[in-house]
Amino acid sequence: MITSGVGARSDVELRLPADGAYAAVLRTLTAGLAARLDFTMDDIEDLRIAVSETTAMVLDQADPGADLLCRFRLSPGELTLECSTTAAAPAHPDYDSFGWQVLTTLTTDASVDVAPGGYAVRITLRTSLDLSDDVTGVGL
Amino acid sequence: MTEVDSRGSGRSAALEATRRENARLFLIFRDTDASDAERDTARDSLVHLHLPLVEHCARRFRNRGEPYEDLVQVGTIGLIKAVDRFDTDRGVEFSTYATPTIIGEIKRYFRDKGWAIRVPRRLQELRMQISAATAELTQSLGRSPLPREIAESIGCTVEEIVEGLESSNAYATLSLDATDDSDGDSGGGQSMLDAIGIDDVALEHVEIRESVRPLLESLPPREKKILLLRFFKNMTQSQIAAEIGVSQMHVSRLLTRTLEQLRTSLEHDV
Repeated sequence: MITSGVGARSDVELRLPADGAYAAVLRTLTAGLAARLDFTMDDIEDLRIAVSETTAMVLDQADPGADLLCRFRLSPGELTLECSTTAAAPAHPDYDSFGWQVLTTLTTDASVDVAPGGYAVRITLRTSLDLSDDVTGVGL
Repeated sequence: MTEVDSRGSGRSAALEATRRENARLFLIFRDTDASDAERDTARDSLVHLHLPLVEHCARRFRNRGEPYEDLVQVGTIGLIKAVDRFDTDRGVEFSTYATPTIIGEIKRYFRDKGWAIRVPRRLQELRMQISAATAELTQSLGRSPLPREIAESIGCTVEEIVEGLESSNAYATLSLDATDDSDGDSGGGQSMLDAIGIDDVALEHVEIRESVRPLLESLPPREKKILLLRFFKNMTQSQIAAEIGVSQMHVSRLLTRTLEQLRTSLEHDV
């Protein structure tokens, strides 16, 4: 199990074509990683929705034929995902949109980084499990 | 049905009656000397006799997203199979024999037909195991369980749990036309399509225009011309009066009358 490596800080990177067809790959990878960080089933369900919203936002801005770069930062009970792409003319996010409301509700932290030529959405989720519970450490 | 609802001696008496009726019907159904018609009637009666058993089984699967009536239907198929296959010499109660067949049929329906998108059977069964284990562990732990805990409980790997999660999305897809009936069956539920689309603002004009067209066609030439000048060329009544050579008062009267005619014909049409 990878769990043994999660003690310190671990990073995972994934580069995908910026195409909706690959959203499921990212979702499953994210769920797989979260499963090792003591996220509960409910947390993972939230995370999967958050990842879908994130990819939807980023894909919307991506240049044709661009790549989607996904960086995970993993620590016990916490996962941060940054999804970025190259975007010639990135639009500023609509903070009143339904998608953004969903994202901020589901995540501990969510932010958008709009820079000339690039667009990135970063989300952080923490497990709802109380890590002081004796359940952690079992089987790690 | 009475044998389900009533209590005590009434219940056991009803059960006894059902049992006797069951035995009697099976004798006819299995009787090789009986005519086809007699046996068919006995078979029908047997199915009817045991329908409450199907309803009882189907109730256990309510609130799982499939209509209760559908479950009774497929359960009844299970019952018919059970009637055809039941061996009276085996010495077991018919209900004991039929229940697994009925439930099996309902479960198979959930597995095969319930899925909106075809998913390999291995994953379908895994998903059922996951949801059962999730419910059980949520109860015993008092919180949402970890994938690791579910994997331990089912006896599979965490990877398989994650795989099962992805497939569970294929179980129920939502039609854009499905209405939100969360606030009862008022019938006025909004569909997803209502929420994501808006009616074209000019759309209702199409209907009005199409209804008005034949009415306009039937107007006398002078009235038609007045309407045209007033509403399409945007001329004043005095300008129209000058154009067609009548008084402004007359134009006003003609306009009012024509519009009134159009309005009443439109209302009559509707």
